[in-house]
Amino acid sequence: MSSNTIAQDAPELRSINRSGIEVPTSVAASAVHPEGIGAPGAYPFTRGIFPDGYQGRLWTVRQYSGFGTAEESNERYKFLLAKGQTGLSVALDLPTQCGFDPTHPMARPEIGKVGVSLSNLSEAEILFRDLDLSQISTSFTINGTAAIIYAMYLAVADKQNVPRSKLTGTLQNDILKEYVARGTWIFPVRPSMRLIADSILYSNDVSPRFNPISIAGAHVRDAGATAAEEMAYTLANGLAYVEELRARGGDVDKFAKRLSFFFYVHMDFFEEIAKFRAGRRLWARMMKERYGVEDPKAQHFRFGVVCGGSSLVAPQPYNNVVRVAVETMAAVFGGAQSIFTCAFDEAFQIPTEFSAELAVRTQQIIAYESGIGRTVDPLGGSYFLEEHTDRMEEKIMQVMGEIDAYGGVIRAIEDGWIQLRLAERGLERKLDTDSGEHVIVGQNHFKKPNEEIKVGEVFKLDPTIAARALEKFQRVLDTRAQSAVDAALAKLAIAAANDRENVMPYLVDCCHAYATVGEMVACLKQEWGEFKEPVNL
Amino acid sequence: MLSQLANASALELAQRPLRAVTSNPARRIGITGAPGAGKSTLLGHLALLRRAKGRLGVLAVDPSSPKTGGAILGDRVRMDELDGASELYIRSLGSRNTSDGLADNLPEMLDAMDDFGFAEVMLETVGVGQVEYAARAQVDTLVLVLLPDSGDTVQAMKAGIMEMADIFVVNKADLSGAQKMAADIQRIAALNHHDPGSWVPPVLLAAASQPASILALSEAIDRHQAWLGTSNRQEILHEQRARYRLRRLLEMRIAQVIAQHDAAFFAAPLAEQLLLTLEMLGRVSVRP
Amino acid sequence: MNTLLQTRPALAGKRILIGKPGLDGHDIGAKIVALTLRNAGAEVIYTGLRRSPLQIAQVAVDEGVDAVGLSILSGSHKELVADVMTQLRELKAADIKVFVGGTIPAEDQLHLRELGVAAIFTADMPLTDVVRILGERLA
Repeated sequence: MSSNTIAQDAPELRSINRSGIEVPTSVAASAVHPEGIGAPGAYPFTRGIFPDGYQGRLWTVRQYSGFGTAEESNERYKFLLAKGQTGLSVALDLPTQCGFDPTHPMARPEIGKVGVSLSNLSEAEILFRDLDLSQISTSFTINGTAAIIYAMYLAVADKQNVPRSKLTGTLQNDILKEYVARGTWIFPVRPSMRLIADSILYSNDVSPRFNPISIAGAHVRDAGATAAEEMAYTLANGLAYVEELRARGGDVDKFAKRLSFFFYVHMDFFEEIAKFRAGRRLWARMMKERYGVEDPKAQHFRFGVVCGGSSLVAPQPYNNVVRVAVETMAAVFGGAQSIFTCAFDEAFQIPTEFSAELAVRTQQIIAYESGIGRTVDPLGGSYFLEEHTDRMEEKIMQVMGEIDAYGGVIRAIEDGWIQLRLAERGLERKLDTDSGEHVIVGQNHFKKPNEEIKVGEVFKLDPTIAARALEKFQRVLDTRAQSAVDAALAKLAIAAANDRENVMPYLVDCCHAYATVGEMVACLKQEWGEFKEPVNL
Repeated sequence: MLSQLANASALELAQRPLRAVTSNPARRIGITGAPGAGKSTLLGHLALLRRAKGRLGVLAVDPSSPKTGGAILGDRVRMDELDGASELYIRSLGSRNTSDGLADNLPEMLDAMDDFGFAEVMLETVGVGQVEYAARAQVDTLVLVLLPDSGDTVQAMKAGIMEMADIFVVNKADLSGAQKMAADIQRIAALNHHDPGSWVPPVLLAAASQPASILALSEAIDRHQAWLGTSNRQEILHEQRARYRLRRLLEMRIAQVIAQHDAAFFAAPLAEQLLLTLEMLGRVSVRP
Repeated sequence: MNTLLQTRPALAGKRILIGKPGLDGHDIGAKIVALTLRNAGAEVIYTGLRRSPLQIAQVAVDEGVDAVGLSILSGSHKELVADVMTQLRELKAADIKVFVGGTIPAEDQLHLRELGVAAIFTADMPLTDVVRILGERLA
């Protein structure tokens, strides 16, 4: 209501947080049980995975690096590297993510829109032209076709004569949350699990410094899950991957060292800190107690975060700067290994140079001016935080228990049960926001009268990108040796049909032969079928 | 056309021009079972097989919210394999005011499908219990889809189970317990005495991923259709349909009339309420 | 008056298709709207992900819907909405109203309205407004 004045509007402080936990007004000292907490760097790692916290190594400051064609991204990467950045992040367009070549009718309107079109090895060669892959770390936001893109990355390294063992970087490669919240699935759940296990096991062998999976809760969170559900779904997914990897002959002591996680940080400060502390403790405990993992590195719960996301809104956009700062502090107190801060205008336009820089400065101010990273887990031992961590842990375990009771994460996804829960949660959150019960300053309380909210371009839309991509694509089809493509795809089909094979080497061979992503996906679909979306609303 | 039919009131339906009985009515195949039993997916695969037998239509009923009348009609997504089969017609229906799990004016819509020249209509309904009895009369062949872990359901319907369906399908046969489930139904079937020439409902195992199981189901439907021709079952079904339709029209009309009563009406003695309501029901000819 | 008299839900008797055209996989908005319209009394047909404009138009016609709501967050709204509207016209169903939901830049909102889109819903719009506007446009 525009008639609301600041003085009149006085929303209530809710005593139950969104995860459904009663937040006490005060906590007695007796609520804390020091024996279950442990020291920093010691099992169960409530207080962090390193004894020296950020004194040993600061979190990785991740930066926005833009979209465009492979050529434009390549220029941008060179620029960033020249400025001293060592990590690149690669976003792929939707046709690449969903396994369609640019010529597919579904692909046409989406070519190059939300990322680069990497339809075949020649595009990857352009993307990484004149970059020394042994010196940079590349992070790929890719899931449904992650194994193929990873194969392509290996093929580029081969072409550049860079030993595969020197490659570093991260693949998102987390298909389970795609079925639930992000939608770039291709194959049914079970063969997808095999593909992921194949890629992880292969990566462990040939590129042991590469992180072949980043198990993500971020997307379910943004879609509506509570903090506790975000952690519970992610841990449940993590365990499902562990089971699959073990079933495919993986050694948990080895592969668990290369598992990493990825979350959103929203605005409830202590809920977020407790979420990370509880998640870290639970993961270590499950690794040790369920799988007998003794190597601390394989018990470690390493995670990156995004601060912002759906907690940022368009009205009074500068408020978002404050939100991101608060969330970043929560991430630091939670012990994150890498932090991405959203630009304050990301909710309604492509970030400007100014807003993107401010996002990075926010992290630097917190890292170097505030001093909160000097001491490891500085809030550890707080009566409230320790008690809250315990409550959060219980809540996470309760949600995981519900999934188990349903029949496990895979069945719950196949049946659409988790998807339905999430949709209901999303509706709940939206209704709470509409009603103002969930306070968002500037949007549902303390509004500015007659504020005009203008949404700008959210994606860089260059109408020539699609035409250029199609032209390059055709050139590759015209110049490659078709017989080599056919032979490589035929071998891939045989490997896919044999559950005891690892498909990765065959995918790398396909990439070397300039088989396209669409062709490789079609070949695998032939063997594995396609996911059928269970729509239970 | 179907929208008009779906929205028509009882009186509008009663006043439709008399329709000549189609000489070549569509075969009516019903698929019913509990939510999550995999009916839609099964139906999708079945329809792909059976569309070779002539123009095929699908009517899929989902429950409407008794509170708001709203519904999410999601069956057609689960029939994904039918995408692009443009000769195939799928229509989703909310159960609306019916309490038996069928949709409002379903009999009229099924007739309309005959008029449109469909060779076969598949009717999908949700629920276990009442809906089977309602669907029973509307279709020639009723397939009941069960899940391996729905043993309780089988126990609950033990008594009437053999009258319920013409074909039993234990779906998702790759799950454990499917064999046992099928054996249980067989056992219950064996308890019934069968007259010579009567239809013995087959119990099939099926999985969407096993094309042979879908083919077997389709063949069982064909066998049942052939058997129908040799029995007096069709006549019985036609009579049941006529009874259902009359009852349905009356129920709709009654609901309409009762909705017009206000609180004061219900303060009157029951006998008076009844008389007045009957009188209002009788006053149909004056209304358009 | 009778205090127990139930008000008729705003979208009672309306049939509405919620479609996800293109490859965008973010479906929470579409699902939230589908649930909301159901709660407002509508019969909602949800297509699921990755539908082509032709598929969406075809389903809209087969199902005899009053309106089609398209949810697009990939930035491809201009092409996809225009395609759906063309297909509806070709199927002689131009009377079916088209609504769009997503993050749509102000400029494009204008463009979509010129194409004939009946209303555009953004994420921050209260759901009661969505229901009210739909009710008005479909009255």
